[in-house]
Amino acid sequence: MSARAGQCMCGEVRFTAQDVPQEFGTCHCKMCQRWLGSAFLGVTIAEKNLSWQGEDNIATLQSSGWAERAWCSKCGTGLWYRVTADGPLNGNYEIPIGIFDDAEGFKMTREIFIDRKPDAFAFQGEHELLTEAQVFALYGPTTEGA
Amino acid sequence: MPELQGQCMCGAVTVTATPARDALGACHCDMCRRWSSSAFVSFPAEPGYAALGPVRTYTSSDWAERAFCEECGSALWYRITLPGEMHGQTQMAAGLFDNAADSEIKLELYIDKKPEGYTFEGERRQMTEAEVIAAYAPEAEGNA
Repeated sequence: MSARAGQCMCGEVRFTAQDVPQEFGTCHCKMCQRWLGSAFLGVTIAEKNLSWQGEDNIATLQSSGWAERAWCSKCGTGLWYRVTADGPLNGNYEIPIGIFDDAEGFKMTREIFIDRKPDAFAFQGEHELLTEAQVFALYGPTTEGA
Repeated sequence: MPELQGQCMCGAVTVTATPARDALGACHCDMCRRWSSSAFVSFPAEPGYAALGPVRTYTSSDWAERAFCEECGSALWYRITLPGEMHGQTQMAAGLFDNAADSEIKLELYIDKKPEGYTFEGERRQMTEAEVIAAYAPEAEGNA
């Protein structure tokens, strides 16, 4: 756990984060693929540990019945995925590891929606792998997308 | 290569594009890293691709722009704006299409900028920042 800072591609939105874990997860769902070009590599950070600057340039979308996504309205950089539905995941933000100024020091421990991963690539190493059905069984009565 | 239909996450933007090659590239430069959460995975699109919907562009350098959906932020493409022989060349985000355009990553750019936390399995051609700049933009500085 450590403090880290980061920003979107154009620099209009900046943030600082406390207690950032080293371990992160990768989501291969089709929504994440369409959003970021391949997969969403994100680290989980509690809302109370995040502080944002340049909020006038943060755009958000309720992307499903249970979650919201945010991006910089000037350059399009994805900023967070956040569960808005009540439950144990509420209040946590998934922050793309690529937007930290120093993207070193992170370790992939899990890949979810692995059955939706395109054939184009695979990530090296051993990670916990969860299918779409396993994710939904673990996290909620959801039926489509993420 | 067949023409492909894709769309952004929210569906407001639809894209029709034909890959110029059966190959994806993954760019690890700092700007692509921030834009994509990791590496920007894309294919070169034939001229004449089309997009319908609320496309917004950001001039990310003196020689290129990046397009995204104004309603959901989905990354759409990277396009060379500099006059010259590369003008208009467009790298289309693979994730917009089914099974990443049914292709695979055959080239990694800016491999020396890739963080240690993730690595694509397998072997393929890799180019460092210096090699990319020497090959494509000898006059340019920094990344794209």
